[in-house]
Amino acid sequence: METISLLRKLTELPGLSGHEQPVRQLLQELWSPLVDELSEDRLGSMIGLRQGSGAVPRPRLMLAAHMDEIGLRVAGIERGFLRLAEVGGIDRRVLPGLEVVVHGKRDLHGVIGMRPPHVIPHDQRDKPIPWAELFVDVGLPEAEVDEWVRVGDPISFYRQMVELQGGLVAGKAFDNRASVAAVTLALHALTRMSHAWDVVAVATVQEEVGLYGATTSAYHVAPDLAIAIDVTFARQAGLSDDRVFAIGEGPTIGIGPNFHPQVVEKLKSTADAHEIPYHVEPAPGRSGTDAWAIQVSREGVPTGLVSIPVRYMHQPVETAAVKDIERAGRLLAAFAAGLAADFRPGWEDEA
Amino acid sequence: MRETIQRLTETFGPSGFEERIRAVIRDEVEDLADELQVTPLGSLVAIRRGSGGGQRIMMAAHMDEIGVMASYIDEKGFIRLAPLGGVYSITCIGSRVLFENGTMGVIGLDEKRQDKKQIPSLSELYIDVGATSKEDCPVRVGDAAVFVRTFFAQGRRLVAKAMDNRIGCAVLIETMRRLQKTPHEIHFVFTAQEETNLSGAQTAAYGIDPDLAIAVDVTGTGDRPESRPMAVQLGQGPAIKVQDALMIAHPLVREWLVAAAERINVPYQMEVMEGGTTDAAVTQLVRAGVPSGCLSIPCRYVHSPSEMVDEEDVEGAVRVLVEALSTR
Repeated sequence: METISLLRKLTELPGLSGHEQPVRQLLQELWSPLVDELSEDRLGSMIGLRQGSGAVPRPRLMLAAHMDEIGLRVAGIERGFLRLAEVGGIDRRVLPGLEVVVHGKRDLHGVIGMRPPHVIPHDQRDKPIPWAELFVDVGLPEAEVDEWVRVGDPISFYRQMVELQGGLVAGKAFDNRASVAAVTLALHALTRMSHAWDVVAVATVQEEVGLYGATTSAYHVAPDLAIAIDVTFARQAGLSDDRVFAIGEGPTIGIGPNFHPQVVEKLKSTADAHEIPYHVEPAPGRSGTDAWAIQVSREGVPTGLVSIPVRYMHQPVETAAVKDIERAGRLLAAFAAGLAADFRPGWEDEA
Repeated sequence: MRETIQRLTETFGPSGFEERIRAVIRDEVEDLADELQVTPLGSLVAIRRGSGGGQRIMMAAHMDEIGVMASYIDEKGFIRLAPLGGVYSITCIGSRVLFENGTMGVIGLDEKRQDKKQIPSLSELYIDVGATSKEDCPVRVGDAAVFVRTFFAQGRRLVAKAMDNRIGCAVLIETMRRLQKTPHEIHFVFTAQEETNLSGAQTAAYGIDPDLAIAVDVTGTGDRPESRPMAVQLGQGPAIKVQDALMIAHPLVREWLVAAAERINVPYQMEVMEGGTTDAAVTQLVRAGVPSGCLSIPCRYVHSPSEMVDEEDVEGAVRVLVEALSTR
C-alpha cells in the first residue's frame, strides 16, 4: 500500500485512549496478511506475531507503537450543548473552531464554537478559553441530544489528512499513527526478508493517559528486546534548535538511561549500514514513551526508541515527512532482520 | 574501608552509564560472592548462599550517581546539558564535569539571561570543553558526564561527590567482607538508574523475587545552619527508616534492624524523610509485594558535588547489617 493512503486511513480514524476499536479493526485487516498470529491482550492492545526462522525457543523482538490518540469526552450536557473533559494532553488553545465527531449512540458531527469576538471584552481576547466556556454543538435540540448522547461519550477531532508541499502531510493523530504506519511498513518489508527472531508488533492502547497498554502488553509478550516507536518534536517556528529535530532528515534514535546501550548502537549501525539518515535524541530520564513502561517490565527489558519528528504535536495539524515514516519502517525491518539467532543484549563487562 | 570509599566515589557512573562503576564494584565483590549476575538493565547482583533455613533477602544500594547529558552542541562547540537525576543549577555553576571519554569541561552561565535575580534554570547553563567548533568538539549529543571532585577525609567526616550512593555500595561491600555465617540467601544488588527512575531496583527485585528487601542509601540531616527540621544528625549513627516521600518502611523490617542495633549497642536514629525516596519504594511494589525497609547513612549536601558523611555512621551501618544478616 502507498504510504500516503496508509497514513490517511490510519490518522483519519477515531481512536481515543480507551476507545481504540476502530483502529484495532483496521489493523486486523492490515496486519492479518503480514503476521502468523494476531491477538489482543486484555486491555485491547493488538499483537501481531511473525515467527522467526531460528530454533525454538526463539527470542522475541517487540515493536511497540501506541494506536490511541488524544481527544475529548462529554463531561456534561447543558441545554443541549456538550461540556468537555480532556482525554490525554489536550491543548485548549486549539479547540475553538474545531470540527469534531461525538461518538454517542450514533456518530454525530459537531463544532466547537465560541462567543463572537465582537462581544468579548478587549482584555479577554488574548486569553485561552477556560474549559467552562468550551462546548460542542451538534445542532440538535435539547431533547434529541439527550436521546443520542450520554455523559462519558468520547469526542474525536474530525480532520482529513492533507498533503502539504515538499513531501509533508498534516492531520490529526500523527501522534502516534505515524508510528503504527512505520510498524506496518516494517511488517510488510519483513515478509520479503529472513529474520531469526520472532517479531511481535504491538499497537498499544492508552499511552496518552499513562502508558497502560505498553505496561500490560510488555508483561504479556515478555520480549527479549523491545523498540518503542513514537513521535518527537520537529523543528518549527518558535522552538529553539536545541530541543528539536529537522523534519525530513530521518527518524531519531533515543539515547539515555531508558535505553540499553547495545540496542542504541545496533540501531545506529543498522541505520548506517542501510544509509538511513537519523539523529541521536538525548533523553536524560524517562522518555515519556512506551519505552519507559516496557523497560521496567518483569526483570527488565533491553529497550530502544525510534522517533518520527512531528510538528505541532497534540494539535489537529500534526505535520510529518512521509519519507521519515518510511525510513523508520525500513530501519525497524532491517534491525529485526539483523538480529542473529544467538544475539542477546548484554554488558561489556559481563562475566 | 576509606580506600574503597575513595575508589568508589571517584569512579564515573551516572544513571544509565554504569559500566565503569560496575566494573570497579565487580572487582571488589568478586571473591566475596558465590555467584555474580548482571540484570538486563545493568544492575550487578552478588549472591551469597547461606547455610539454609533463612530468607531470600535483597540488599540494594544504587551505584549510579547524578550527572548531566550533552543535549545539544552549537556551532562554536559549546554544549547544552540535560540533567541525569536531580541536578541543581546552583551547584553546577563553576563546576567541572568529566565525560566518559576523558574530556573535561567547565560549566558556564548565559550572561544575557532573562532575569538575573532568578536562580538560573539548567537551560541557561552550558559546558565549555575548550572546543572552537561543533566539528572539533570531542563530545557527542547523548554523552554523559559527572561532576569532578576529589575525595577527602577530615577527622571522622568524609567528603566526596557521589557519596550518594557509593557510600551505600561501600557499606554493602564491607558487609559482604565481614559476614561470616548466614542462614539467608542474600542478593547484594548494586542497582542501576536509581537517580532517574528507580528502575534498576524495580526490575532486579522482580528477577530475584525476595522475601524482604532493604535499601542502603543516604538520607538528609537537620543539623546544618538554617536547615529544615529533621530528626537525623550526622555522627549519631545510621538511620533506620520509618517513612519517606514515597514509602512507609515495613514494620517488621524496621524492627528487625532496630533489634540488631540494640543487640550490639550500635547507636542509631529513626528516620522520617519528608522529601526524596530510595530503591525500597519500588521493591515493596514488585509482584505481590515485598516487605521493604531502609538503612540510611546521614549525609549533608546531598546532590551537590561535596556530599559529607560521618565515618562512625558508616561503620555502625555495617555492624548493624552484619548482625541482622547473621541471625535468623
